[in-house]
Parts: sequence; C-alpha cells; structure tokens
Amino acid sequence: MSQLVLDKLKERFGAAILETHSNFGDDTAVVDAAQWKAIAKFLREDPALDFDLPVDLCGVDYPNRLPRMEVVMHLYSIARHHRVRIKARVGDEDMDGAELDSVVSIWPGFNWLEREVFDMSGVRFRGHPDLRRILMYPEFEGHPLQRTYPADRTQPLVPYRTEDEAGMPLNKLEPFGHDEGMPFGRVGPHPHAEDN
Amino acid sequence: MATFKLDGKTVPFEPGDTIIRAADRQGLTIPHYCWHPGLSSPANCRMCLVEILPKPGQRPLSLDILELDAKTGEYKPVQKPKLQPACYMAAADGMEVLGDTSEHVVKARHDVQEFLLLNHPVDCPICDQSGECTLQDYWLEYQKTQKRMHDEPVHKPKGVEFGATIVYDGERCVMCTRCVRFMAEVAKDPVLDMRERGNLNEIFVSPGRQLDGHYTFMTEHVCPVGALTTKDFRFKARVWFLRTAPSVCQGCATGCNAHLDYDPRYNKAYRYRPRDNEKVNKYWMCDEGMLTYREAHDGRVLEASVDAAARTTAQALDEVKSLFTGVPSDSVGVVLSARYSLEDNWALRELALVLMGTKNVYWSGRPDGYEDDILIHRDKNSNTRGVKDLAPTAKPFQALVDDVAARRITHVIALGGSAPGDASTLRAAKLVTIAAHRGPMTDLATVVLPATSWAEHSGTYVNAKGMRQIADKALEPLGASKPAWKQVADVATALGFEPSWVKLKHIRGQLIGTAAADAHATPGPVVGNASAE
Amino acid sequence: MEPLDIELDEGELELPAEPMHLNMGPSHPAMHGTVRMVLELSGETIAKVDVQVGYLHRGFEKMCERGTWAQVFPYVDRLNYVSPMLNNVGYALAVEKLCGLSVPDRCQWYRMALGELARISDHLTCDGAMAMELGAFTPFLWFIKAREMVWDILEEETGARLTHSFGRIGGMAEPPTPDFKKLCLAALPEILHIVEEGERMLLNNRIFLDRLENVGPISKADAVALGWTGPCLRATGVSYDIRKAHPYLKYDEVDFEVPVGTRGDTLDRFLVRLGEIRQSKRIIEQSLERMADSGPVNCDDPRVVLPPKSEVYTTIEATIQHFKLIMEGAKVPAGEVYSYTEAGNGELGYYLVSDGSGTPYRVRIRPPCFQIVGGVSKLIEGRMLADIVPTFGSLNMIGGECDH
Repeated sequence: MSQLVLDKLKERFGAAILETHSNFGDDTAVVDAAQWKAIAKFLREDPALDFDLPVDLCGVDYPNRLPRMEVVMHLYSIARHHRVRIKARVGDEDMDGAELDSVVSIWPGFNWLEREVFDMSGVRFRGHPDLRRILMYPEFEGHPLQRTYPADRTQPLVPYRTEDEAGMPLNKLEPFGHDEGMPFGRVGPHPHAEDN
Repeated sequence: MATFKLDGKTVPFEPGDTIIRAADRQGLTIPHYCWHPGLSSPANCRMCLVEILPKPGQRPLSLDILELDAKTGEYKPVQKPKLQPACYMAAADGMEVLGDTSEHVVKARHDVQEFLLLNHPVDCPICDQSGECTLQDYWLEYQKTQKRMHDEPVHKPKGVEFGATIVYDGERCVMCTRCVRFMAEVAKDPVLDMRERGNLNEIFVSPGRQLDGHYTFMTEHVCPVGALTTKDFRFKARVWFLRTAPSVCQGCATGCNAHLDYDPRYNKAYRYRPRDNEKVNKYWMCDEGMLTYREAHDGRVLEASVDAAARTTAQALDEVKSLFTGVPSDSVGVVLSARYSLEDNWALRELALVLMGTKNVYWSGRPDGYEDDILIHRDKNSNTRGVKDLAPTAKPFQALVDDVAARRITHVIALGGSAPGDASTLRAAKLVTIAAHRGPMTDLATVVLPATSWAEHSGTYVNAKGMRQIADKALEPLGASKPAWKQVADVATALGFEPSWVKLKHIRGQLIGTAAADAHATPGPVVGNASAE
Repeated sequence: MEPLDIELDEGELELPAEPMHLNMGPSHPAMHGTVRMVLELSGETIAKVDVQVGYLHRGFEKMCERGTWAQVFPYVDRLNYVSPMLNNVGYALAVEKLCGLSVPDRCQWYRMALGELARISDHLTCDGAMAMELGAFTPFLWFIKAREMVWDILEEETGARLTHSFGRIGGMAEPPTPDFKKLCLAALPEILHIVEEGERMLLNNRIFLDRLENVGPISKADAVALGWTGPCLRATGVSYDIRKAHPYLKYDEVDFEVPVGTRGDTLDRFLVRLGEIRQSKRIIEQSLERMADSGPVNCDDPRVVLPPKSEVYTTIEATIQHFKLIMEGAKVPAGEVYSYTEAGNGELGYYLVSDGSGTPYRVRIRPPCFQIVGGVSKLIEGRMLADIVPTFGSLNMIGGECDH
C-alpha cells in the first residue's frame, strides 16, 4: 500500500493524527476522536484519496489502558486501489464518554456497522438516525464484546425452569460454568475484587 | 554506572555481577537451566553461552572446528569464536555481548537443547512440570527440530523416593545440580550429590540419610524440569487449569511471599510457590510454610453455630444480640488475633474501643514453635506486629483467662479459633468467636460465626520485621463464611451500633499511618505482586 | 391506498386508512437463515421495512478470545456455511499474514481448487433457492444434484460435506487424496451441464424473467456507498473482484474473467452468479493442472504446524511441539492485520489483533452480506410484497455470516 494516504492525512490534519504505522502492509492511522467526522469527510471527498467503499467498523477493547475502546474503521477506494485503517480511542474505564460522530451521512453503509459497534462494544454515535441494537435483543443488558463482560453469562429471556417447576430433579450445570475446562485466559483480569 | 552491551542494549551492572545477573535485573532473559539468582553458578548446563566480542586490538578466542559443507559433502576446517557462559563471566565495563544476534549463539542454544533432550523420556503427558517446564519452553524457542539420535535412550531410575516429601526421576533430570547446591548452600545440609559419570549421571541421597529437614520442598521448586516432584502435589492438578494469586504465608511471623495456585472451577487451593522478595524470604520458603496452603480448606468453620448446633448466620447474630443485651461494657472482653489481617483486627478494635467503649482488649494466637536461622520464626502467627501496633496495650491471653476466672469479664468477643495456652476456663463466660478455623476458642464458644481464611479475602499482614504485606484474594468464600471484618460489622449492627466501615477500602483508608514503622518496614501497604518470579 | 368508491348495500364500510404492518418473521421459508422483516404495507406496496437480523448471532468473536488461534477454524466454517472452505482459507491467510508465513505452492493450488468448489456450491444454492421460491422447483433440485457432486468431492477430501474445518495455519489439515484431480475433472463438466439445463429451463420462461427483471435495482454509486462487494456489486456494473484487484494465492497466474452486470437488478445478480460458476470451473481446471502430485502441503515451521502423530508418541521433541501448540496455541506475533479474500458473497475480511500469545486478542469478521442486507430497505421500499422473495433471494444472505 502507498504512503500517500498517510502523508496526505498528516499534512491536512497535523496533530489530530496521533500515530501511524504500516505494519504488515496495512496503512493505519490513530486519530483524535474529536476529528473523526472531519477526517472521514476528507478521506471521502479528496480526489486523490477517493475512499468510496466503506469496508468495516468494529470496536476493540483494551481495558488496561485509557481511553479504553478503540473504534477501527477500514476504507477502500475502488478506483485508486488503496486501503486505510483509521482508529480512534474513546471511553474511560466505565465506558463514560465513549462517543463518536456518526459517518452515516458520508457513507450510508456505516448505518448498520455503527449499530453493531454500539450493540457489541457500547460506543454511541452522535447523529446516527436510528441507534439501537442490531444483533442482540432489545432487553439485553451490557455490551458483550467488552472484555469485562463475562463470556459465561447468560441472559435468557425465558428464565431456566427450577426443579419445582419441572417436578423432577434436574442435573443441570449452567451452560458452561466459570472457567470450565478453559486453560486460556489465565492471564486475565485479576480475580480479586477489592471489597471482599 | 558501569555498563555493557547485550545485543545492542545497554545494561548497567553492579560490581561483581555476572552478565546473566545484570541482564536479569533489567528484565532481559538469557536462557539457563543451572543458574539461579540465589545459588552459586556451576556453568554446567551451557545453555547461557554467549559470544563476547574481543576488545579492539585483542585476538579473538576461537576454536578450530570442522564444518560440514552441504554442497560438497565434506568437512572443512573453520574457526568459530569460543562462547562463554553468561552465568560465570563477570561483566566488565564496555563489554559487548551477543546473544540472539549471534548465529553461533543461536546454534549453540539449539545444540545444547538437543543434547538435553537426547535421553529425555516422553513423559510430558504424565509429568507434573508440564506447562511450566523449561525444557518445553526452550525447545520451542531455540531448538524447533527433531533430535538426530536414533538409538534407545539411556534408562535411569524413576520414581525414587528421596525422603518423606520428594520423589526423584532420573531420566527427566538434566543434572543442573540446583537441588544439590540448594541443600548445600541455603539449607546448610549437603545431603544430595551426583553420582556415576557421563550419561549415567544421577542425583542421589547420601547413604544412610533421607532428604529431610525443613526445606525439602525447595528442591522441587528449583528443579527446572520434572525430575523432582513433591508427594504433596504430584498428580493432583494440571498447572494450566490453575490460576495464581500473590499471597503471604501464614505459617509464621517471617511472612514469606508466596503464589497461591488454585483452580477456580472447583474453588480449591492446590499449592504454594515461593515468590521472590529480596527483603523477606529471598527466593525460598520452608516446608511447613509450603504446606499451609491446606489451611484454606482443612479444619474450617464454614457455618454459624449456637451452642455447637448449626444455625444460619442471621440466627447466630440474633443470639449474639440477645446474649449481649443489658451487659455493661466493662465486663465485655475483646480478643484480637495475631493470625488475622490488619483489617479484621482493626474492625474488632473499632467495635471494642469506639463503639462499645470497652477497654478490655486482649490478643491471642498460636503458641510458639520451632525456629531456625534460615527462614523459620519462632512466632507462628503472621500478624503479631500488626496487632501490637493496632493495640499496644492489649493484654496477653493469660490475662483474659484470669479475668474470666475472677468473673471480671463475663462476655467475650474473640477473633480466631486458636489460643496460645489452656483456654478451658473461658467456658464460664459467654464467648462469641468469629473464626475461620476450628480451635479451642470455637469449641468453647457459645456463638461461632464463620470467617473467610486469608485466601478468600484481601488482607494486610505485618511480619516480624514490621513490613506490611498484602495477601490477595484467591478463592471465593467457602460455605457461609464472610471476611471477618464484615462479620464484625454485622455483630456491631446486631448490638445496635452503626459501624463506620462497609467496604474494604474504608478500612484501608484508616490503616495508613496507624502502624509504627521502623527502619526495615516499607511505608504503607506493600502490594502483593511486588517482584516477578 | 386509495379508497375505492363502492356503493354497498350494508351501509358505510370503513376501509382502513392506516398502513398495515406485516411481520415476515424469522421463521419463514423465504427468509434465508432467519431474518425478520417488519413491513409497513400500503396495499401490496411496501412503504417501509425494518430488517432485523441477529437471530443467528452465536457470539463467535467472543468465543475466539477464549481458545487458541487454531481453534477458530471450526467457528469460521460456520459463518458462510454454504461455502465454508472459502472462510477457512480466508482465516488461514489472515493468520499467516500476521505470522509472516507463506505456504508451499502445492497448498496454494489446493486451496484455490477447494475454494472455487465451495464457491460453485454457494452459487448453486443461491440460484437454486431463488428459483424454488418463485415456484420453479425442478431447477432447484437439479442444482442441488450438482451441489451434491461438489459435496461428494469435498467429503472425499476433508471428511465432511459442509463444515470441514480443513484449513490450518501454515497449510491444510491433510494433503490432497490421490483421486482428487480425477474426481474434480469428472464432476465439473457434469455440473456445468446441469447448470446449462437449468438456465435453459429458467431463462426462457416469461414468468421467471418478469419476476426478476428490473426488480430491486440499485445504482453503482448507491451500492458502493452502502459497502456492497461481490456478485451483488458486480451486478451493478462495478467490476471489483479481489481475485483480480488484489490477487492472493495464485489467482494472478490463472485465466478467468469477472462477470459484470449492467442494471443491478435481481436478474443481473442471478446471471452474474451463473457466470461465476463457469469461471470457477476454469480456475479449478487450471489449478489442478498446475498442482503438483507430491510434495508438502504444510509449511514446515514447527511453531504453527503439528507434528505427525507417530512421532508424537515416540519422541520427546514432537511431544513438546504438540503440547505447546495444543495447550498454549501457536504464538502469533503481536500486532494487527486486516486480510481480505473474495468469498461467495464478496469481500470477507478478518481483522485480527494479537497480543503475542496463543490466544487471539480480537478476531473481527467482516461479513460481506451484513452490508448487503443493510441495503435491503433501499431495494424493497416502493416495490410490492411479492418482490421481496426474489430480491432477497438474489442477495444470498447467509444467516451465519450476517449475524456471526
């Protein structure tokens, strides 16, 4: 991939481009969250860049650093054959202030992707026409792809029946218990809670 | 500050440091088996070989070797630099050391690893060291190939009992002699030695002796492979299922730092491993201390009781309320425990001095025991200094026995089940005990409330040197137990008071600055995970 | 809806003036893989539609964070479950990009051949199902018969008809069977014959053409702005195919064309897929010709590839290698990568974040049909209820992929 994209971004936005790298051949820029929409608009409208295809939007949670949630946007230009990855970091340890401007007005394709990032990672998009959950049901609490959301938590809409209701003994283990058989994630958030 | 370069990185060192010691201080690893920061360097494993570039103008130290030319299939004589063991070479100012960046070192590491695995048994599925084994890690990092030998590996004795605690497997042994040196240098009892020669080498116990003493578990701890295993832990758990919490040994007042390994699926503690702390226990722990992990499960009080009949905690608290109604605070005695954390004792002291207004504060714990000059302290309680600092005027246990016998004290609230002497006279008083373990104080108690052990809640313990150390929470509370400071708060509420603490951080906020510090103490709570293994 | 002036004997008849809400619920024969459409109808015309996906969301991305890199392969199989080999290959390429590995040539041809077979199976299913939903059941059964031939080959190679989990980091699970080339070369002409028969039956049928032509059109600019890729985008006239634009594996060494439509309506999407089947056949034939009959299929890096079982039981080194790879996972270097391939529905992207350990930190799957289904409202609004069926069918929404 060419350095052109990163150079033009740095030239136009200067300090708002916090870091760049091209590891593994992917041009990446970490940008200031406040300039998210302006940078997106520039990438769309600049004739040399011409990023017309909205490829992907996702959130990656890094709970050990602040701001915690990294929103990653991939763009592609069909005419120019180049790609770029733009990232912005939002949110403190309780995910307060995790907001970005919506870019739906620039690429309508981000409508559902922003809803998915909201649903899975909890980042709100200002100006989105219809920000509601897309993959999970509306009664769901929490944002599953945040690393602090426990993977073994179930939220059944219809609660599991008790032995009284069933009228017979149920040898049921909850759908996979805490750390059941999983050696991975041993290096995880420390298990001790401070007020116990 | 004198420095040398390792792979281009500048490494400062203290006078007398070897290359590997200085690099270890900076967090740069050079692979090794036989070296240990707490033992002498025999340089027999040859894994830490590094290339030291000659000083400018100096002739390089090199060896004549024969190298196979792949194209012609013939051996040609070449020279290669003589590599030096980093564990034995003293660092010199301006030295240039090459590790991963030297192709000779990469090849040496590969070859040494190949030799070490040459006669190694295919034991990984049944070996306890699997998952934390240096041979496995270094194979993946440095060898990555199959061995070139097609003969039957050498067979040596397996499953040899060295003593009451340790089992030896000769085939897995890499003859690093860490166990031999540990017993000789640290435990001061040179009972292990190496015998036979060449590839028949094995470790053995001196004739007529067993591997005994108070530090045998440490031979298993220093063993980098699965040759030495403890009878206590072998075949009990696979290490990749175990999580670890930084903890403090509760066996005596030395307060050795430890890692408590537990399985979160079954909420069970499986073993202790020593945690490095230069100031407290260096790298070691004693056998008795290593076994105290069992106290997380053995002899526990897991439910409340009234007159030895099991009750719910709420019912027990009601009983406490009725017992103490109308009792003047002068005849109430409160017993702090040197085996419980600062937070637990602070809560009980608050209840006594501030809420109830009684001045009858005593302290108890376990009686004294064996001591030596290596690690073991006579005082078998982990927080005596802490209790003394919290309540300097607390009277000894015997005073409580006398006061109860003389009917000066009729009601007692005690922390902990153990007593340093005969407690049978306490039968005359109404005793409420908040305890994690059974003991004289729970047997004689009218009401018993279950408390969590040190492994189930985060607690600060002050060792004999006055250092505050935190043992982190590992297990979830067993049975109906709650942290003692929470039980005390519930007792206070049952007696009609309003405790000023609800969460641990409220208590911790009060503790900073209350305990007297001396020259050895670290100011403020020392966070449990201070230094890496 | 315009009120009709009717003289009725019974007196005033109140005709409803508000639009009607109809639920095409997740359990519906035409809703491929559970999608719910809440329609606001004005008579037969659709005023508004709310497409609700997520009924097949299984939490793959979270599950990937709880296993090793190699344990992700069964999950990606179940994404686009009509062409699982394309998902496997895409993920394997993504991890190999992060590791800096390249697989032997034999493996690359093998991956191409299997991938194109999966693509044929995907397009056969889509077009067959579309025909069936319009009432043409016979071509559906013919295409399924052709798909069975593809699945027989895949069963011979991988052991499973649908969820193979055949890809591995650094190669494939097994080398090609000795009969692979023979089976493929025998089956492909038969498959093409069946496709031609199906075409003859459908494309001369007045009803079929009327139901597809000019139904659900979308312009190039709209499709691109919505993030469409794959056959749905190519039907509008944009010839963006990753195999040509950014070739991976050995796609730059084979001859094939990219079928492109003109109007972007349902008929074009139908025809583009049939055209792609023919091109896939060409690619497979060329790959099989170039693929060596012997030689390694896996790269020989012991940090990612498992040792042979016989060695694991007898030598300590192989035991250790096996142990490290299974219990701790292949240690992929830290960093992030976005790797994309042309899957059955378009650009299937994997955004992987690694923290240097054997467990993935984040696996993001960019599903091609997620964006496509996001544009359904644009296609359907203003059209009639019956148009939903062919339009939605032509988009080839696969629930497993859209909801991941």
